[in-house]
Amino acid sequence: MVGLVVAAHGRLAEELVSTAEQIVGELPAVATCNIEPGTPVEDLRAKMKQAVARVDEGSGVIILADLFGGTPCKESLMMCQRMNVEVLAGVNLPMLLKANSLRSEQLSLPEMANQLASHGQRNITCASALLREAQQPRT
Amino acid sequence: MITLVRVDNRLIHGQVVEAWLPFLKVARVVVADDEAASSPLIRAAMALAVQSAIEVQILPLSQVDFAALSKDGVRTLVLLRDVASVPFAHAHGLALDELNLGNVHFGTGRRQVSPSVFLAEAELTTLQQLADQGVRVAARAVPAEKPVDLPDLRERWAKAG
Repeated sequence: MVGLVVAAHGRLAEELVSTAEQIVGELPAVATCNIEPGTPVEDLRAKMKQAVARVDEGSGVIILADLFGGTPCKESLMMCQRMNVEVLAGVNLPMLLKANSLRSEQLSLPEMANQLASHGQRNITCASALLREAQQPRT
Repeated sequence: MITLVRVDNRLIHGQVVEAWLPFLKVARVVVADDEAASSPLIRAAMALAVQSAIEVQILPLSQVDFAALSKDGVRTLVLLRDVASVPFAHAHGLALDELNLGNVHFGTGRRQVSPSVFLAEAELTTLQQLADQGVRVAARAVPAEKPVDLPDLRERWAKAG
């Protein structure tokens, strides 16, 4: 199974995983990295490595980071070079839920990462506009 | 064909859309609830939440043809807002092998029997009557959870007093 690491500023990573588990139940092979203010980069790097190692079962790991260019993303990108790791920036709840369900399909790691990026974007919609459209009479 | 009957105050929401629908692989969701059926806004919002390949019907409880739903070949999830609706549906032809308690919210006079289920004494009595008729009653918010069967729910209810 592909491992998942959610890495984000503050407690976002932990809360995203906790919320996903409220919705679909316990998520296997998932780790979180909270980046608190003032954490030295060396400590963060070590935490990231530990998180990846903890969930790596041999099929690779996808790191879901919050901000492109942010520290969690940058440190994740450094690991891409040496490990079987893909990095997504802009993690959201639909993306995390989809990551869990996609793991049961036979996708390569890069393919899974690309599908997740699309899914995360596709699920950002103006919900109220969709509702208005749904209530329009058909012409 | 009834695949599952679920009591859930929230009817169609995240746990149903993200967990139960993929798990059950149903082709139809029927919400039997007067309040939801009476609001075009709620009906539209609920229908939007479900992928378009799955049919969504939102009807007042008394207008659902439970007997027909039970007899045809379409895999169906039936959602009811409260425990009190279950005997009515059952009496009107709903095939009921198993009753899933998802979210029954806290309220005055209710006691907690699982993380997301709070029951009043009258509801516990209703559930026992259903169980006496052969229905397997269990609390289970999401498929990944282990179900908590009625004897355990009853025991927890008694202890919570």
